[in-house]
Amino acid sequence: MTANEILDMLRGILYTTGIFNFQWNIIVMWGVASFFIYLAIAKKYEPLLLLPIGFGIFVVNFPLVPLMGQTAEGQDHLLQIFYHYGLQWEVIPCVIFLGLGAMTDFGPLIANPKTLLVGAGAQLGVFITFTGTVLAGFTLKEAASVGIIGGADGPTTIYLTQHLAPQLLGPNALAAYSYMAMVPLIQPAIMRWMTNPQERKIRMRQLRPVSRKEKILFPLVTAGIIALLVPSVMPLMGMFMLGNLMKESGVVGRLTETAQGALMNIVTIFLGVSVGATMHADNFLSWKPLFIFGLGLIDFAVCTIGGIVTVKIMNLFLKEKINPLIGSAGVSAVPMAARVSQLQGLRYDKTNHLLMHAMGPNLAGVIGSAAAAGMFIAMFD
Amino acid sequence: MKKIILLTLIVCWLGSMPGWSRADDFLGAPVIPGGKIIDKSKKRLEFNSEKTHDQVLQFYKEALAQLTDIKYRDWSDSTYIEDDGNLKWHSITISKNDAGGAVVIIMKDNWTWIIGTLVLRYIGVFVVLLCLLLGMSVSGAIISRSVKKMEGKETAAKA
Repeated sequence: MTANEILDMLRGILYTTGIFNFQWNIIVMWGVASFFIYLAIAKKYEPLLLLPIGFGIFVVNFPLVPLMGQTAEGQDHLLQIFYHYGLQWEVIPCVIFLGLGAMTDFGPLIANPKTLLVGAGAQLGVFITFTGTVLAGFTLKEAASVGIIGGADGPTTIYLTQHLAPQLLGPNALAAYSYMAMVPLIQPAIMRWMTNPQERKIRMRQLRPVSRKEKILFPLVTAGIIALLVPSVMPLMGMFMLGNLMKESGVVGRLTETAQGALMNIVTIFLGVSVGATMHADNFLSWKPLFIFGLGLIDFAVCTIGGIVTVKIMNLFLKEKINPLIGSAGVSAVPMAARVSQLQGLRYDKTNHLLMHAMGPNLAGVIGSAAAAGMFIAMFD
Repeated sequence: MKKIILLTLIVCWLGSMPGWSRADDFLGAPVIPGGKIIDKSKKRLEFNSEKTHDQVLQFYKEALAQLTDIKYRDWSDSTYIEDDGNLKWHSITISKNDAGGAVVIIMKDNWTWIIGTLVLRYIGVFVVLLCLLLGMSVSGAIISRSVKKMEGKETAAKA
């Protein structure tokens, strides 16, 4: 064997490594990945999602890694398979909603159904952000998918984005989960700004007990009404209500346990890593993701304002006033937003516990954001 | 020379008449050849075509085949083509006219439509949740009434 042949062989080996196919922009993506992994581990911000998302971003941003493409024979790589069957087929968000339904107690919402309107009012930011996004040059479908971030509902954001603008899936999901995790940082200042000391001290009557029959009937009634009015969002809401019916019926304990435990955990892994894997430097490094992050923050703020204003308007007509601090919980982000209402309430009156009252608008926010998503899907389909 | 100038002026005058105007596109939206313009402004173009509704629709389907954000809605006597992308025009409505031809209306992309549809859809979210509120109130009332009835029967049986 000649020296040239050995050199050729060495060159052949070296060209199959990532080092010879290195691009500068992937270093930026390592930084982005590290930031989200840091938020998950050090700050414990939505670690169940930000950790796999961060790792997904990290591993796909290496040259030649067979993760998010196809083999020469046309077979999908590993993460591409997760992405294709989980997200492109819109399976994972719906399965997550099944698990969420199996975990959720709608008692506070059933006991005080008026708070449903707060969940609707808190979708204000979704529609305002839509306008801002269109002004920035996004298409209408992209604008709808960016707007829904303010609804503070991860699976709904992913479902709508995958449906309307799959090219924005990574930035939208990241913005939604990041801001959901930062609800305790974003909302309190707005809550203080929008309310006066008297309003913050409003005491609400203790919620009535809700019977088992009412809890069983709730998912059936909700599924029926949503199916009639916004059928396009039934894959999400249908699964949500199925999970809840399983829980409340009490006769399928094993299924409920699986839906809220093992199944939820499994799909969360696939969801996180697949979303992260969509963020290759070539797709991510542009002005659009940065803009989405900026606008997402405004979106959250306007949704919070929308919820509080709705409570204030309702108080004009109600004999028993509602504490406007629970209005901010209309932005989904269950149960983080309700906890923020509780903490803010306690700051001004140490004996005024708002948690259960805030759970009503919080759960209404989930239904409200799904309804808003349904409105957008109906607009474009 | 005078004749040429006169002829040119006549041609220009005829060309400027709405009924004789011809254009290949309006705000980037293709205009089917042979159409007779009925009304034209900066925001709207309306013209009659001797071709049937189906022929006009076929023309637009072929002309817009490359665009990805185009949506078609079929109604009983018309077809509505809408752009959800960033084009300058918003919609093309193709309606059947009495003479067996088609009337085509091309609308400019406008903020009135965007804001209008957003306001309506925001109200729509309230309507959905209001219906849910009504549904919950009705079902709650039925359940509490049935529970009271059953309790009444049990009390009567015990007595």
